Parts: sequence; structure tokens; C-alpha cells
Amino acid sequence: MTDDAAAHSTLIEHLFRHQAGRVVARLTRLLGPANVELAEDAVQEALVRAVQTWPYQGVPDNAAGWIYKVAHHIAIDIVRRDRTFSAKSDAIVAELLRSGTVSADPAAVDQQIRDDELRMILMCCHPEVSADARVALSLKIIGGFSVREIARAFLSDEAAIAQRIVRAKRQIRERQLTLDLPSGADLAHRLDSALDVIYLMFNEGYSAHEGAALVRQDLCVEALRLGRIVADSPLAEPRVHALVALMALQAARFPARVDAGGDLVPLEEQDRSRWDQALIALGFRHFDRSMAGDRVSPFHVQAAIAATYARALSDDAVDWHVIVDLYDQLLAIHPSPIVVLNRAVAVSRLHGAAAGLAALDPLINDPLLRHYHLLMSVRGQLLLGVGRRAEARAAFEAALACECSDPERRLLERKLALC
Amino acid sequence: MPQFMLLLYDNPNDWQKVSPEEMQKALEKYMAWARKPFVVDSKRLANDAGKVMRSSGGARQTTDGPYSEAKEVLGGYYTIEAADYQDAVSKAQDHPHLEHAGVLVVRQTWTA
Repeated sequence: MTDDAAAHSTLIEHLFRHQAGRVVARLTRLLGPANVELAEDAVQEALVRAVQTWPYQGVPDNAAGWIYKVAHHIAIDIVRRDRTFSAKSDAIVAELLRSGTVSADPAAVDQQIRDDELRMILMCCHPEVSADARVALSLKIIGGFSVREIARAFLSDEAAIAQRIVRAKRQIRERQLTLDLPSGADLAHRLDSALDVIYLMFNEGYSAHEGAALVRQDLCVEALRLGRIVADSPLAEPRVHALVALMALQAARFPARVDAGGDLVPLEEQDRSRWDQALIALGFRHFDRSMAGDRVSPFHVQAAIAATYARALSDDAVDWHVIVDLYDQLLAIHPSPIVVLNRAVAVSRLHGAAAGLAALDPLINDPLLRHYHLLMSVRGQLLLGVGRRAEARAAFEAALACECSDPERRLLERKLALC
Repeated sequence: MPQFMLLLYDNPNDWQKVSPEEMQKALEKYMAWARKPFVVDSKRLANDAGKVMRSSGGARQTTDGPYSEAKEVLGGYYTIEAADYQDAVSKAQDHPHLEHAGVLVVRQTWTA
């Protein structure tokens, strides 16, 4: 290997994964949504060629461009061989040839790719695709995740995820979904569906019930990336910016969420100097842009809550009045047990543990929440706060009996020891 | 310093199921290894079986390479400097190819 080649041997983080998503989107645009698998095969083959070539020849100057071009060439070979394209084959090959010639204008290429990815996001999140398949399909096609990686992140088995994806692709074919951008009355509906998928993806990663922490954090990174693509597009509405703000402000806390020993650090004990300032700045930029318009979505309120935490210089400086007010608003427009739970924590900070306990009351007898470890853990904490040690102990023990991650388990055990 | 060839054999199909992220991670390891100071040269071989030429009864015979039936094919090689076989093997010990179910063959080049 020459020195020259060695100099170019570092790759941008997640380059393969992201480039896979981009090029699959580009090729699917040319081959048609029914042939998305063919696009995936071409990209996979291009990446395999990179793995087989670069260790000997070095990384090319423009690694992303190399993958893009080689995938186009492979797609051309596939189309020429595949009889199903018959009459359309020449036209598609011509399009692939044109698309595969990397333009001299990087800004134009960038714009094209963003547009392709946006269309792909809206197709994968289409309301006609089964709800339980949208996240997995998006991760597979746009995110460049493998079935195994998705299964690991979802704590599901590979066969189940693979089946979901196969079914979703069949729905795309049979219902003849297109990559056309929605407009008019359809737009709001399609956009909402996409935002729900992105938020679900983020939460799946953020909540970290158990399993490999790293791949789950990747889900959050991917959700944020997809959210930004939509937010930076002409389709963006204020609530898209609210969602991106919410995700960025929450993701900013990642570096402080786990201590050196791998244990979870509760929000109130986090070292704020470890919060990711670039993500906080990004969050506030989108938060500002979410203020346009007068419809207040649940994303707006949640972003406002995250922004209130992020603005406070210390945990003591958090304005709990504002937080409780925001949770009241959220409860009014988007009621859920988790909102009640989080509101109770805020109430306890504002008015004390007894008031917090009272705010939890509506949840205590809900049979669906009996196995929800966070409820039991919060209840234990509040009971401890009012000196009801025996009940606190029982609550923490109930929390430990639920499914939760190892770091969460250790946190609960630490709390149990205080009772 | 004597030179050795590291011949890297693998089954190209093994990569088909590997995710993009895993491929990048693997590639980064390969690249890091290739930057070691004792690596003199490297080359990838084309992805085909090649040709085998023989002479039989005075006539030249050319056939397709021996690899079409084999599971593992020779994908490329590195030339490295090492004091002796023991040194060469120990230098190749942490080659990522071995983590990816590949096989390394170490051969010393002839020097008179």
C-alpha cells in the first residue's frame, strides 16, 4: 500500500450505513418502488466490493461517490440481465447511466439525494403500510440497518422482523405506492404518519428497556437524521421542527445518561457539562422554527419541556412551574399514563412528594400498568420522600419484578438499599 | 529483511449477509492493519477464477481456474517484512481476516 492510499483511509462514521440508504433511495427512484429489493441488492454488492478492494488498494478519495457509482453500474448489469424489464430496459439503463455519472456540482447532488430520501421516508411511512412494519421498513431501506440489527434493537427475533419487512414490501407493490410527494389534503395525513414513525423509532432507542445499548442509541441517531431530512424539506411544517427539537434536546443528554461504570444517571443528577452542546444548539434552532403557525402539537409541548430543562443551568434552576404547566397542556391534548407519570414527578419537585403521590393516584389501580417498572420506581421514590419506607420498599421490589435493563435494575437496587 | 507473502483466502458469499455498518467496521480494521510499518505492498485479485494453462502432449491447454468449485478463493495478498516465519506469523496474528472466517497462507519469498 502506498502512503497516499494510507492517508485516505479514514471513513466518516456510519458512512456505509447512510450511503446505503441514500443510494437505495436513488436507485429505487429510477427502478420503481416495486424493485426496491433490486436496489438493495445492488448497493449491498457495491459495499461488498469496497470491502474486498479497499484493504488492498486503499480508500478512494471520494468513498461515498465510489459506492454511488459502483452501485449504479451493478444496477445496470442487473437490469440488462433481468427479463422482467424487457421493453423498459433501455430507458432505465439510460437513466441509470445519467444518474451514475456523478455531477461536478456537489450541491446539486446533495439536493437530489435529500429529495430522494424524503420521498423514500414518506413511502416507507405510508399509512397503507402496516403500522407495525413502518419503523422496521424505514430502518432497513432508508437507514441501512440489517434485519439482524433491527431485531437486536427491537428485542425481536430475526425471522419476525424479516417477515414484517417482506410483508411491507409486498404492500408497496400490491398497493402500487409511489415515491410521489403528497400534496393538498393528503399532505398532513402523510406527514403525521412519517412523524409518528420517526418518533416511535426515537423512543424505541431512547427508552432502552434492555438489550444492547449501542444499537439502540443508533436508532435515536437515525430518527434524528430522518427528522432533519423532513424538517429541511419544503414539506416541513412547524410540528416537524418541534419533533426535531424534542429529539435533539433529549439526545443531547446521552453522554450524561450513563456513568463510567455503565450505570444510569437520573436527570436530576446528570452532569450538565456533559450534555452535547451542538445538539442543544440544533434543538433550539428547530424549537425557534417550530413557533411559526398557531397549531400546538404534542411535539411542541414536549419540545418546550425539553427546552425548559436544557435552559436551566442546574437542576435547582429548573422552572418547575413552567414544567407542570406544560404537562397540564400535554395531558389536555395528548393524555397518556406516561404523561401522568412525568407530570407527577414535576408536581413533586414543585409541591413536594405528597403532592406527587396524589398526582400518581389515577395510575395506581390501572391493571395495564402493574408491570410498568417506571411507575413503581417513581412511586417508590415518592413514598420514600414522605417517609413511608415499607411501602417504598414494596414499590421498588415490584419495579424489580418487571422487565427492565441491567443498568435500570442496578439503579433500582441502589434505591431499594435506601429504604 | 526477508519478505513474506500473506495470501488471503475467503468465501466472497460470506459478506452477502453482513450489514453495511459491520462491513465498515471490518474494513476499518483491515485498513488499520494495512497501515502497519512492515507492510510493503498489497494487491487485490479480480473476482474471477482466473485461467490455468498447461501443456499436454506439446499442445497448450487453457482452462478456467481451479476456484469455481472451491468455497474459498484467493482474494488478494500483502507483502510484509519479517525476520523469519515465526516473526511473520506473529505479525499476521492480529490480521482481521482471521476474525472474518478467512484463511491466511504465509509464504516466504525466495532470496538467494
